[in-house]
Amino acid sequence: MWDLKEYRIAGSAGEAVAMMRRGPGKGVYIAGGTDLFLFPPTCDYVVDINHAGLSDIVGSPDGDLFIGAATTLHDLATNPLVNRFAGGLLSEAAAHCGNRPVRSTATIGGNLCNALPSADLAPALLALDAVCYIADEDSQESLPLEDFFTGPRKTVLDGRLLVGIALSAEAAKRRALARRLTRSAEDIALVQVAVALEVIDGRVGAVRIALGSVAPVPMRAMLAEAQIEGELLSDLTPDRLADAGLIAASECDPIDDHRASAEYRREMVGVLTRRVLASALAWNPSDDKEGGAA
Amino acid sequence: MKIDVRLNGRDTAWEAPAGATLLAVLRDGGPNPARMISVKRGCETGDCGACTVLLDGQPVNSCVVAAGRAHGHEVTTLEGLAADPLMISLQKALVDHAGVQCGYCSPGMLISLYHLLRECRAAGVRPDDHAIREALSGNLCRCTGYVKPVAAAAAVAAALEAVQAAAPGKGTVAS
Ligand SMILES: Cc1cc2nc3c(=O)[nH]c(=O)nc-3n(C[C@H](O)[C@H](O)[C@H](O)COP(=O)(O)OP(=O)(O)OC[C@H]3O[C@@H](n4cnc5c(N)ncnc54)[C@H](O)[C@@H]3O)c2cc1C
Ligand code: FES
Ligand code: FES
Repeated sequence: MWDLKEYRIAGSAGEAVAMMRRGPGKGVYIAGGTDLFLFPPTCDYVVDINHAGLSDIVGSPDGDLFIGAATTLHDLATNPLVNRFAGGLLSEAAAHCGNRPVRSTATIGGNLCNALPSADLAPALLALDAVCYIADEDSQESLPLEDFFTGPRKTVLDGRLLVGIALSAEAAKRRALARRLTRSAEDIALVQVAVALEVIDGRVGAVRIALGSVAPVPMRAMLAEAQIEGELLSDLTPDRLADAGLIAASECDPIDDHRASAEYRREMVGVLTRRVLASALAWNPSDDKEGGAA
Repeated sequence: MKIDVRLNGRDTAWEAPAGATLLAVLRDGGPNPARMISVKRGCETGDCGACTVLLDGQPVNSCVVAAGRAHGHEVTTLEGLAADPLMISLQKALVDHAGVQCGYCSPGMLISLYHLLRECRAAGVRPDDHAIREALSGNLCRCTGYVKPVAAAAAVAAALEAVQAAAPGKGTVAS
């Protein structure tokens, strides 16, 4: 059994941080606990954030979304605002995590704070320019998700609380798609690729290509993005997309393990990036302005 | 720590170690006289679903939920649903379809299927095989091969739809 001295239940974000900083000894936050109970860290107390008002998904009139850190994966998978945001990229990613009972308690915050290279929500959130809101006793910070992860199982938090994730309305209209490669449906992903891009008057605007399980942290393939951004749709031949895939493959930094070799993962980054880009570019063309659809 | 929980419809107080899982308290611990032995200890890693219970009506793997998480909440185990007509029809169907062999997974499966059918009944929809399989995605069964439990759930779903359709003032529900 997990040898804990105390289980503290926080009634607000402020109280959670105060309970964490109060000591004595070492504490960790607990949300769903689906990661913590598998690998219980040595510590004296936990601070439960499930009653801290961090479980809501709030949409602004402008179309921005704020997702509390303790929002469950089941809520992400089924919430209408999240279902509609960028083609439901995030809902889809959440729906693929674990199994139904795990999704009842596992949270978005736990998925990110656990900081596994294979965290399933990370590529989708990177592709949507997610911003992290972080709180400490007398300071607050917001930073792009790209800067949140510092290594496998490491983040910038250092005892601070992840309050939630904001998505800007700008990302809501992106064509977004993702693919993950696994050995079996419930295994950890070997390679994850998420793409979100906008097409304006036949030209590609912002492009995000996010990769998971192929580097110490979830990452963006920015050199590959630059190959696509600003290009005319008509210029993006299959060869050009294949090139972008090769560039993404050169940007990642996978490891060998019992699931797959680094070489295989790298090659699959190229293949999946090409395929996901091709699908995203061809996705629902009638929705675009120049398509003149109703 | 002291945990106030509504267990199977009854207000209960547990005294549990701070690091205990909900599974540990339900099966072995606390001053609750009736041990909830329908809640099985399987993998203890959230993979097999033998320990599935309802927390505020949602299915959870009690082996990866902190006991403290239940403080101020409602927990339902199979014991608490023993007289529930929907649960009784599911149990009968599982037996009739030979969906129970060793039986170790059955309480967890029944909780998952009960949750699915109750949600579908409330929404006025009939779950298809895909929805049933999705609901059972967290319940590992080493004996039945899943075909028979899925057929059992489909039979109960069909019966529910027939009852709803026959209810006065209600049309046929969508599938
Ligand atoms: C059977 C099973 C299957 C799984 N399948 C998948 C899968 O397919 N894909 C996947 O990505 N993951 C999977 N997981 C892992 C896990 O369920 C997810 O990562 C989940 O989102 C973790 O959330 P949690 O709330 O349970 O985290 P917890 O266990 O509560 O916390 C995880 C870590 O984050 C910290 N933390 C949590 N919230 C905060 C916060 N707000 N601020 C600061 N720190 C915080 C905790 O201190 C801890 O270190 C699976 C787990 C199980 C048991
Ligand atoms: S014992 Fe809990 S899921 Fe296996
Ligand atoms: S009946 Fe034996 S594990 Fe399912």
